Amino acid sequence: MDIVEIKNLTFKYPQQEVQNFNNFNLKIKKGEWLAIIGHNGSGKSTLVRLIDGLLAPESGEITVSGIKLTPESVWDVRSKIGMVFQNPDNQFVGANVEDDVAFGLENAAIPREEMLIRVRQALERVGMWEFADHEPVRLSGGQKQRVALAGIIALKPEIIILDEATSMLDPEGRQSVLEIIRELNQVEHLTVISITHDIDEASNAQRVVVLDDGKIVQDDIPAKIFSHGASLVKIGLEPPFSEKLKEELIKQEIKVPDEYLTKEGMVDWLWQLFSKQ
Amino acid sequence: MGKVLLGRYVPGDSIVHRMDPRAKLILSFFFIVIIFLANNWQSYVLLFALTIGSILAARVNFAFFIKGVRPLIWLILFTVLLQIFFSSGGTVFWRWGPFNLSYYGLINGAYVFCRFVLIIFMSTLLTLTTAPLAIADALEKLMMPLKKIKVPVYEISLMLSIALRFVPTLMDETAKIMNAQRSRGVNFGEGSIMQQIKAVVPLLVPLFVSSFNRAEDLATAMEARGYRGGEGRTKYRVHYWQTGDTAGCAVFVIVLIILLFLRHW
Amino acid sequence: MAMAIIFKAVNYTYQPNTPFEQQALENISAEIPTGSYTALIGHTGSGKSTFLQHLNGLLRPTSGVIHVGKQIITPETKNKQLGELRKHVGIVFQFPEAQLFEETVIKDIAFAPKNFGKTEEEAETIARRMAQQVGLDDELLSKSPFELSGGQMRRVAIAGILAMEPEILVLDEPTAGLDPQGRLEIMEMFKRLKEEQNLTVVLVTHQMDDVAKYADNVIVLEKGKQIASGTPSEIFAQPNWLVEHHLALPKAGEFALEFEKKTGYKFATLPLTEVSLARQIASLLHGGGVHHG
Repeated sequence: MDIVEIKNLTFKYPQQEVQNFNNFNLKIKKGEWLAIIGHNGSGKSTLVRLIDGLLAPESGEITVSGIKLTPESVWDVRSKIGMVFQNPDNQFVGANVEDDVAFGLENAAIPREEMLIRVRQALERVGMWEFADHEPVRLSGGQKQRVALAGIIALKPEIIILDEATSMLDPEGRQSVLEIIRELNQVEHLTVISITHDIDEASNAQRVVVLDDGKIVQDDIPAKIFSHGASLVKIGLEPPFSEKLKEELIKQEIKVPDEYLTKEGMVDWLWQLFSKQ
Repeated sequence: MGKVLLGRYVPGDSIVHRMDPRAKLILSFFFIVIIFLANNWQSYVLLFALTIGSILAARVNFAFFIKGVRPLIWLILFTVLLQIFFSSGGTVFWRWGPFNLSYYGLINGAYVFCRFVLIIFMSTLLTLTTAPLAIADALEKLMMPLKKIKVPVYEISLMLSIALRFVPTLMDETAKIMNAQRSRGVNFGEGSIMQQIKAVVPLLVPLFVSSFNRAEDLATAMEARGYRGGEGRTKYRVHYWQTGDTAGCAVFVIVLIILLFLRHW
Repeated sequence: MAMAIIFKAVNYTYQPNTPFEQQALENISAEIPTGSYTALIGHTGSGKSTFLQHLNGLLRPTSGVIHVGKQIITPETKNKQLGELRKHVGIVFQFPEAQLFEETVIKDIAFAPKNFGKTEEEAETIARRMAQQVGLDDELLSKSPFELSGGQMRRVAIAGILAMEPEILVLDEPTAGLDPQGRLEIMEMFKRLKEEQNLTVVLVTHQMDDVAKYADNVIVLEKGKQIASGTPSEIFAQPNWLVEHHLALPKAGEFALEFEKKTGYKFATLPLTEVSLARQIASLLHGGGVHHG
């Protein structure tokens, strides 16, 4: 079943002349983890903002979880979607951690008794309950993004959209955020749409869509996309380590397989190569 | 930076800390009003006793209160001197042109000084024992009647709480931009007035730009999280009016009654 | 130009004698040699940014002495004496595009040299040269910096620091938030500049791959203390020590360890970049013997 369906989408920003999207089509399956990659300015952020109804298309049809997106249905659509944005500071509305998690619940007019339970559960889920009364200045970027995730978890959406949500974090912060997302995707079967330049984040996906200039230029499983090696940089993705190593091995006149290998796959392949000798 | 919080709130668990912020806000205003009923030394003794008592109940370091007076000391001295030299009555000790030093002048000066100190102590006590956010909540509740005349009370209070939340962030940002511009050869707080004004531009422009960007991001994030105006939202933070709050109010009313008796009409 | 940096028993405490007192640097003695490419690594809160702010006198030590070239910074050093120092030490702060403010790109790049005593024309000439260095098109120079894309703004900000023509270039996560293409271009540009102008570079980063690829000297901070210093191969030589301090190996090093575990082969020295890893694999494969990569 498709949870998001975009048909013949056309969009341009008012101040711009060229179309950002022209007759654009995309279907996203329920429970799927879709990574959207592309260099800066390729239209990735615009696309997810259109899905969430934060921008209005000129023409075309967007359906989210069976609801056709219209000015009337936009709030229903948004209740199905949780979004985490790039800058951890600029989406922290509450004065402290628990207030921030409660913000979305207050908007949804959830009764207070229920809120108390959901805020606590969501914060425990992301490992931030002990920080419930901390102000945002006393948190790291990774902690703030986890609070943002708790705010989403508390609202029980069907889709999580990550708009470069880990790009401003240090490696530990990035890991902790990704771990939570993996669990939400695998255990709760939430659909994940993640915009990213990070290979580790993209490698979690079941499907990768490469955008360029508002068009889908590739749509495939990660292994196929990653096998492009160094040229991945041009489409806004850091090449995987195994691909970089392959290129250096070629320079050493070692024959390497064409298909993409994970790190473990690469070690296995080398081991076989050595044992043949 | 970053650790400096607005209003110098000092977390604690005293009776005063636990009071409903609405009660504290009302009583602070009430106190400022009843101070002006005092016009003899007995009533000032009573008000000082009340203030000191409240401070002791809050169990916060007295040094904070002295610090609260310090930045205003020139204003206080100026007002006190005006009172001393421009009010007349009673024995005149000294006269020069429009200035005269009289018995009433000295007494009035002393009273004005006491009023300043009392008001500063009491408002310092409010901000030391009440989180800025709780004050914003209290304002919202107290402004509720204004909804009848179409004042957007919910929006004002959300605006206030977001503003409070971003104060430390903006202070951090200011420190960062100052560092960056000092590294590019700007000297803040040095040179002629003209130079100092010029030095502010490289600080203010980036601050405005980043504040606008933040505001835009924040608006998008709030919309994505389902914010559609103040109506129909539920509230996560609540404050309960407790016996302590009623007792506190009673004490202040008793003080008011005594003040009325003590007053020389 | 001798512009070594030496820290001698440096302590720094924020808001001393208040309830908020916090010691950010503790007895740091470190040396950043002239012409080195030094990486400063450590977690959030390790004191990296406090350390950086001592390099051009934005902060003065609470106790201890810092030598930057001929300049000596002590707790008593006056602000006036620091102007000269700031000319020689350019700091690219994290997300430096936040410092842009002028009406045009060229004016913003020329801002620092003008402050440090260059005439309008001189400053503009330098600015044009630096714009070229960082890869900004000429047509952008008369635009407002706020019309540019994020990546271009980053380049303008970096050019604005390079325009000081510093001998020491300090980079605080200069590629954070950029896409991979931009990241690579900017890191390669710093490498080129360093070689052409014999700069001393101090790089704060979380990217261990960048440490392995670019740095020749590493300082590791933890909770305000220096816990290690040396060449990248010295620092990355003990995987257990790294784990203990929550530090990662470069990807090539991680891969090499897994390879050793699986195959039983041993590398002569732990390879830290894919280039040296590939070379060592090749020599193991062809020569059978163990050679240095």
